Amino acid sequence: MDWLEEELRNALARKEPSPDFDGRVATATRHKANVVMMTRRWIAAAAAVILVIGAGEGYRWRRGEAAKEQVMLAMKIAGGKLHRVQRGVAEIRQ
Amino acid sequence: MMRIGILVLACGALWAQQFKFNLDHLAAKAREAVDLSLSKDLLQLGAKFLSSKDPDEAKVRALINGLEGIYVKSFEFDREGAWNQSDLDQVKNQLKTPEWSRIVGVRSAEDNENVEVHVRRESGKVTGVAILATGPREFTVVNIVGNVDLESLAAMGGQFGIPKLRQGVPKKREP
Repeated sequence: MDWLEEELRNALARKEPSPDFDGRVATATRHKANVVMMTRRWIAAAAAVILVIGAGEGYRWRRGEAAKEQVMLAMKIAGGKLHRVQRGVAEIRQ
Repeated sequence: MMRIGILVLACGALWAQQFKFNLDHLAAKAREAVDLSLSKDLLQLGAKFLSSKDPDEAKVRALINGLEGIYVKSFEFDREGAWNQSDLDQVKNQLKTPEWSRIVGVRSAEDNENVEVHVRRESGKVTGVAILATGPREFTVVNIVGNVDLESLAAMGGQFGIPKLRQGVPKKREP
């Protein structure tokens, strides 16, 4: 069994990491953190763009509705007065 | 900068308007006042929001197509004598130029209201309409810039009935 013990001892013996191990771990961690940060920034930017477009559309809609109401009111006033003229002329003709 | 912008917009509105209404002093005395300045851009924007399914809105859409602007000042007063003849004269004097001609005037004995319609013609084409409606407690001036079909507008007025005036920009209609 000596050969087996010898094999095990060799396999489980303490091994020192390579000299650039710390650096490689730190680089990999930084890369992951960068990817997460970039993703978050892109999501925030996309949300901001959607918000700006939505607010712009909302403003345009409100302005359009207000313009529509004003057009309808202007036509009601002008039409009402002209109708009164038309009615007056019709009464005179009778 | 903003003041300059407002000034430029106001000048634009006055330029489009075919005669001036200096009637702001009447607003303070009025029970109800409507002051509308609809330039071509606003008319086009409003037209986009007019439904083709609603018969009234569809007719208005067809009527305002091609118009350059609509300007309305309308006041209702609690008491008689709130406006002077000079208020009416300052508007009427501007309609004495050769382009303008008075096509009809009706005085109603019932409510003592006087309505006059003036039409502006340039090179044989109708380019504007002025409607002056005055009563003991009412003063309304309308300038429609562009060629508007008066018969259709009058017919529409009959459908709408006499409009109820509201202060400033009207509220949204209830569904």
